[in-house]
Amino acid sequence: MEENIKEKRSEKEEAREELLQLVLFRLGEEEFGVNILQAREIEKLDQGLTRVPKAPLFVEGVINLRGEIIPIVDLRKRFGLTLPPLGYDSRVIIVEVRGAPVGMLVDAVEEVVRIPVSAVEPPPPITKGVDAQYLAGVAKVGDRLIVLLNLDRALSPEESQELAEAELGDG
Amino acid sequence: METSDYLRVFMDECQEHLQSLNSALLELENNPGNKEILNSIFRSAHTVKGASATMGFNKMANLTHAMEDVLGLLRRGDLEVTPEIINLLFDSVDLLEVLAKGIPEGREADIEITAILQQLKEYSTPEETLPSDRDRRRRLELRYTKEEREQIKGRLTDTKKLYHIHVFLKEDCLLKGARAFMILREVENMGAIVKTIPSAKELEDERFRYDFIIGLLSEEPVEKIIASINKVLDVENVQGTTVSIDEIPEERRAYGETYRFTPREEKDVEEPAPSHLGPATLTVRVDIRKLDELMNLVAELVINRGRLEQISSELQHQELEESVETLNRLLLRLQDDVLQTRMVAVEHVFSRFPRLVRDLTRRAGKQVDLVITGADTELDRTVIDEIGDPLVHIIRNAVDHGIESPEERKAAGKPETGRLEINAYQAGNQVLITVRDDGKGIDRDEVIRTALSKGHLTEEKLAEMSDEEIISLVFLPGFSTSEKVTDVSGRGVGMDVVRERITALGGTVRVTSKRGEGTTVTIQLPLTLAIIQTLMIQVGSEIYAIPTSLVEQTISVNQSEIQRLRQQEVTTWRGEVLPLIRLQDVLDVKDAKNPEYNELDVVIVRNGERRLGCVVDTLLRPQDVVIKSLGSYLGNIPGIAGATILGDGRVALILDLRDVA
Repeated sequence: MEENIKEKRSEKEEAREELLQLVLFRLGEEEFGVNILQAREIEKLDQGLTRVPKAPLFVEGVINLRGEIIPIVDLRKRFGLTLPPLGYDSRVIIVEVRGAPVGMLVDAVEEVVRIPVSAVEPPPPITKGVDAQYLAGVAKVGDRLIVLLNLDRALSPEESQELAEAELGDG
Repeated sequence: METSDYLRVFMDECQEHLQSLNSALLELENNPGNKEILNSIFRSAHTVKGASATMGFNKMANLTHAMEDVLGLLRRGDLEVTPEIINLLFDSVDLLEVLAKGIPEGREADIEITAILQQLKEYSTPEETLPSDRDRRRRLELRYTKEEREQIKGRLTDTKKLYHIHVFLKEDCLLKGARAFMILREVENMGAIVKTIPSAKELEDERFRYDFIIGLLSEEPVEKIIASINKVLDVENVQGTTVSIDEIPEERRAYGETYRFTPREEKDVEEPAPSHLGPATLTVRVDIRKLDELMNLVAELVINRGRLEQISSELQHQELEESVETLNRLLLRLQDDVLQTRMVAVEHVFSRFPRLVRDLTRRAGKQVDLVITGADTELDRTVIDEIGDPLVHIIRNAVDHGIESPEERKAAGKPETGRLEINAYQAGNQVLITVRDDGKGIDRDEVIRTALSKGHLTEEKLAEMSDEEIISLVFLPGFSTSEKVTDVSGRGVGMDVVRERITALGGTVRVTSKRGEGTTVTIQLPLTLAIIQTLMIQVGSEIYAIPTSLVEQTISVNQSEIQRLRQQEVTTWRGEVLPLIRLQDVLDVKDAKNPEYNELDVVIVRNGERRLGCVVDTLLRPQDVVIKSLGSYLGNIPGIAGATILGDGRVALILDLRDVA
């Protein structure tokens, strides 16, 4: 039994190596993607956020998702992008970071695409204003340039502290 | 049940028995003559033996088997309870614990037990100089009373004969009782058992050495009977003979007595000393995860009740309101009962302390009387699991560094034997545990010196500090890592860790100490971690919950009653100065209204002896809430104990203002 499952898994992994399934979303005008396997669900933000005092700046607050408390992160703040106010198309993509659920606020969720793994290239130092440390790579799809996020890094609360300290040090 | 379930049950049971072995051995050490304690030890060892043999943990089974042999001799009085034997038994229990710990990791079979096994066997193997004693015990004879003889005679026919079957089990047989039972069942298929020696009950309870005799009325040939017995495992030898009832001398007394009788036991027949090793209560073993699930369900119900309450009060429908009211009451009882099922007596943790203190005092060459009170105080299982280590730490400190050596104590005019008191009691929905010693206490000056030298303290700060605050410096991280402090201040090894653990449980820990008179550590713990009573308050547009366990009182303060004392707002309350904080300052709330108010609502929060008035916009209502974690992503945020879901589905944060206070 177990061996069977393992085989199936490795088959899946092989398949994944050929094709990558991405959820594409927008932050401001820029297009980003995350591996669909990391996204748990996509929700509308139709309830009030509860602000958490003393939380990292880019943590907007927490919501109740069917009895589970989920922190909501504003990536635009994290990446230091200029922010238009959240609108009708805004969504929360629930992902898991080191086993803990986190909601990413995005301006819109666009589509799910499949791209060949070989199309992914390492990110340049700064892409669309985002530091390469938060990125897993970039992929060209037709004439679109999709930026793949490294979720563990992009959402890591610890990194932010270093960042904040670095900023403090600079200032 | 799956194997893993059996294993868990086995491990649980094992833990319990090892624990009771430990405490019973301690009792035995103090009352070497008490047969009741010996019996209880024997029973525990016996149960562990049976269980481990069934599960196939042979090392454990062998070890308990050897222990049982020694205990059997002690019980019969063939061996005297000496300190050496007690120590050997303690060592054996320790080794059992090591074996038990090795089981989940699959290491049980690799652990070496021969040394202890050898020592145990030296006691249990009778010395050659006492052959007569041994012979007397081993010479079993099956006799019949007058009535029995009549009965047998009436049932004998030409074909049906009376056999005496003498069965010898192997000496290393682990499940004697089970084997004997199987043999009896086997024999029953071939005839009628008239009598056995020892009695069937004793056989079942394993109260026999290795052999027993069955009196059997049967038409089968003796060879066939012997062959069927030989099929049973662990049978060493079977002798069967046809006997004539008239040749057997008559039995005059009830048997069993001959077998168990020893002169020493006779001396002890008076009622055994009362002991807490009483009979087991009627209980069911439930997986703690099931209780957690149950608790979660109740928690969800509590959340939904809030929603229902809100709707019914909006609708103002009388019947709905009444039924919601009933639901409320039932839910409250359900909640209480579920919480009750999760409650465990602190004895579970305390029971290992006598052993701990015994070992610590022996090693340090000190004399300590341990007094435990309130061990039946109950706490939620989740809390119980967490307080063991911090308490061990505190006790270790008290014995190692608090209580002086007998010579020092004598010189100081104190009794040579120190006293360590552990006390637990419930106060409201809190449980307090105190550990008090009458040792040398904490050297306040040494604490100050260390704090100054380590930069934890400045001279100005020091001037404002009370003695208790100064002594509490031992809780600072890294305060006590230096050897010197440990030796001189007499306390503080890893007290920061203790405080961290207790705080994580929503509790507090305090130390008071008087030089030369001793030290008291007081731990305050919540009864449960799952559902708490809170006071809901509002600041600006935000709603927060404050645990009522922290709330001393709510008061109303007029702006004119507020004064400033060194940048700090204060007011007078019950003749004392009460510092005030505006919650919006602590929580960065931008739209707070209270600066515009004349009358301010103030929640007085207490932290130990200190009080702090928290100014809010509005006091909303008291409410039971289910604590939910903010999750590992956000981790620990100072001042926030967790979150809860309100009736309308929104999240409210639960404040822990003790750090602020």
